Amino acid sequence: MAQKRDSWAEPYKIKMVEPLTMTTREQREKALVEAGYNTFLLPSELVYIDLLTDSGTSAMSDRQWAGMMLGDEAYAGSRNFYHLEKAIQKHYGYKYIVPTHQGRGAENILSQIMIKDGQFVPGNMYFTTTRLHQELAGGKFVDIIVDEAHDPESLFPFKGNVDLDKLQKLIDDHGADKIAYVSIATTVNMAGGQPISMANLKALRELTSKDGIRIIHDMTRVAENAFMIQQNEEGYGNKTVAEIVKEICSLTDGATMSAKKDALVNIGGFMATNDWDVFEEARNMVVVYEGLHTYGGMAGRDMEAMAIGIEESVHDDHIRARVGQVFYLGQRLLDMGMPIVKPVGTHGVFLDAKAFLPHLPQTAFPAQTLAAELYLDSGVRAMERGIVSAGRNKETGDHYYPKLELVRLTIPRRVYTQAHMDVIAESVQRVYEHRDNITGLKMVYEPKYLRFFQARFEKLPK
Amino acid sequence: MKHRTIIEPFRIKSVEPIGLSTEAERVQQLKEAHYNPFLLRSSDVIIDLMTDSGTGAMSAHQWAGVMEGDEAYAGSRSWERMEQTIQSLTGMKHVLPTHQGRAAERIIYGHLGGAGKVFISNTLFDTTRANIEFSGATGIDIPIAEGQDPATDYPFKGNMDTGQLNLLLKEHQGKVGAVVLTVTNNSGGGQPVSMANAKEVAAVCKRHGVLFLLDCCRIAENSWFVKHREEGMDKLSYRDIARQMFELADGAVMSAKKDALVNMGGFLALRDPALAEACTNLLIITEGFTTYGGLSGRDMEAIATGLQEVFDPHYLNYRIRSTTFLGEKLKEMGVPLMWPIGGHAVYIDAKALYPHIPPHEYPGQALVCELYRLGGIRTVEIGSVMFGTYAEDGSLRPARMELVRLAIPRRVYTQSHIEYVAETFEEIMRTKEQVRGYKIVKEPRFLRHFTAHFEAL
Repeated sequence: MAQKRDSWAEPYKIKMVEPLTMTTREQREKALVEAGYNTFLLPSELVYIDLLTDSGTSAMSDRQWAGMMLGDEAYAGSRNFYHLEKAIQKHYGYKYIVPTHQGRGAENILSQIMIKDGQFVPGNMYFTTTRLHQELAGGKFVDIIVDEAHDPESLFPFKGNVDLDKLQKLIDDHGADKIAYVSIATTVNMAGGQPISMANLKALRELTSKDGIRIIHDMTRVAENAFMIQQNEEGYGNKTVAEIVKEICSLTDGATMSAKKDALVNIGGFMATNDWDVFEEARNMVVVYEGLHTYGGMAGRDMEAMAIGIEESVHDDHIRARVGQVFYLGQRLLDMGMPIVKPVGTHGVFLDAKAFLPHLPQTAFPAQTLAAELYLDSGVRAMERGIVSAGRNKETGDHYYPKLELVRLTIPRRVYTQAHMDVIAESVQRVYEHRDNITGLKMVYEPKYLRFFQARFEKLPK
Repeated sequence: MKHRTIIEPFRIKSVEPIGLSTEAERVQQLKEAHYNPFLLRSSDVIIDLMTDSGTGAMSAHQWAGVMEGDEAYAGSRSWERMEQTIQSLTGMKHVLPTHQGRAAERIIYGHLGGAGKVFISNTLFDTTRANIEFSGATGIDIPIAEGQDPATDYPFKGNMDTGQLNLLLKEHQGKVGAVVLTVTNNSGGGQPVSMANAKEVAAVCKRHGVLFLLDCCRIAENSWFVKHREEGMDKLSYRDIARQMFELADGAVMSAKKDALVNMGGFLALRDPALAEACTNLLIITEGFTTYGGLSGRDMEAIATGLQEVFDPHYLNYRIRSTTFLGEKLKEMGVPLMWPIGGHAVYIDAKALYPHIPPHEYPGQALVCELYRLGGIRTVEIGSVMFGTYAEDGSLRPARMELVRLAIPRRVYTQSHIEYVAETFEEIMRTKEQVRGYKIVKEPRFLRHFTAHFEAL
């Protein structure tokens, strides 16, 4: 393992820059009204620091840009596909690969193949698009994450772990054949970017093996998860992130990946499996939804960038700087006494909106409100991860009321500097100081699926 | 002086080396690819005429756009540029970006389709038909009679038979998902659709209250034919002709990989806000958020620029003329082909070339393999492999025509590449009697041509 040190200085220098727009408070006030207080609906040009997501927003390396120029845009058999296939096999160890235009394309195909109507899909907390595809395929998501994951104050280092008793009970109650597969995310986004431990994953593998239940890996931030194992789990301090990533994958049977996160690209994803039958079916299906199985809806150049990005993403130096930057922001906010989810996750800092705005009931959308206030203060764009994202229960028609009501400050990879982090922390503090004056929101437009993307709100009167 | 020679209105800024191979190597490669060109490695191919989709060379201006792509997840300025460009071209307010054309098709046909529904078209393309059938609906092709005879000379062989359309709309009243006009008509030989025909189709649809959609992935090329072949249209610009055609439709589906001159991308454009909202819900599930739909910011930039470049009269002249150049050369050699030459490809009539190979032994596939063996030229069969179905007794219901498409990527190959292709055909003509057919030994349920395995007979 590389030497321990406190500073997380970037293992790269800047080669190309993108100018940012500075806005006035009046401009932002107007923009918020026009966007219906939904940060998704703000034009990117009016955003100063964009922490909406770490998905597809990374800066590529000069090697990746060079790869862009080597794109082979042939419809069939592009050499970039074979490079990508090799990179995935080498670094993740899965046998068969089907490329897709992004992660949800892979989820769509995998869910349709592996879920039978009425089956359960237990997982370590839901993710918006993942659960939706499971439900559309006739499955029912069951949360089997450890209880600590729902407690923003718990300092447990592996809040992404599965509670094996919850899984065992599900198997005992319904039988193993009612379980489509176990869905495991590395890291768990909705829990605040929390990792799963190798020990837990091994135990899960053992339990599922008894009943022949497959484990499907939502591996979008697997390198970050591997880094946390390296840092915090006994026996892994001397292993490289690359080794740990491969070990994680080896304990699962297949995967979906949005390459827009860890793999350092702006577009792309894939489905992987060790199972020939699943692969055969996926390869036929991908043609209908995505594109021929040697491009799956990606330009050749984007497959090349992904192949190179995967390799860069498992370097210890890269991942230490990546997570180090997130921890730096988290620590600053903790030092200021801001309520955030602890421990700090790997891809972002999650503000605890319930603690931030205790005077707002959950039906006044505290996290949505806080994200809007933050934008108003400084032009920092964050994302709601609370009741709006959770959506409605299909059967009762009522909101799901998630325990966590969070605002996600997601840090794009290799994009922002330490000075940007300081601006963010100071803005959060300013909003906190006048939090008593903040009123909530009411929803005035609600789309049918994934409502958080496009819902519109109005400010409640004081 | 007025020149006869049409030169490329550009010069080359970046090149990509081609690997050359021997015939013996290619015989081996074909065998490993189970005689399906979709399974060949691109790096083995010498001249890739498999498709004009996503294979074009972008301009320096587009590459500059690639560098300027705004990769923000929501509200990207690259999206704003793309949206405005499409709104002003189509006159349609609601634009949904998708990672490519088939995703836009799946969304709109998935929403409008379902069991019992019927879609009527001049000719549905393979992925379009697959999307429609995947939803449980049925697709009906009604090209005009002239469009079904490869040898007739007719200026607008892509037209739809509006008499039949009228009858079908009566027969299937209440069950028609949409009428889809594909411009140009790809499966029918890249043949254009006249403005007059588009107007008639629009009028019939209106009378029956049926949704009229344009599959517009080659609309600029279609506009070239309209300007030069249709009366009263020569005063209009190519872009104005396209705009006029869009005005007739209720919506449009585009694979931007063709006439938007990019390697990846597509969109769905609609007038009706309620339909757009329903489609937007589906877009978010499988494609991406409304302001990127599964595309990177840089690709949206490139689409916006490409949609402007494609209507440049010098570009379109070069494009259509260079495709015709290959067609004329082959015709002189006596190669049976679809006539007149379409916009993006030359279609060889394999049934006429190999009369001794019956449809169930796939004469088109035989020609595809020959072209690869002799010249390393990759092409695609558009015949009974792509569109054939099975009768209940397991026998093949052949497609109307057995064609092989030589699709010309935009701005990629030079005149000497084209002459190399023509020279390969000399050998094809010399040895045509010795060629044998193929049988399918493995095939998937949908879109079998992409992954099927063949064996030589």
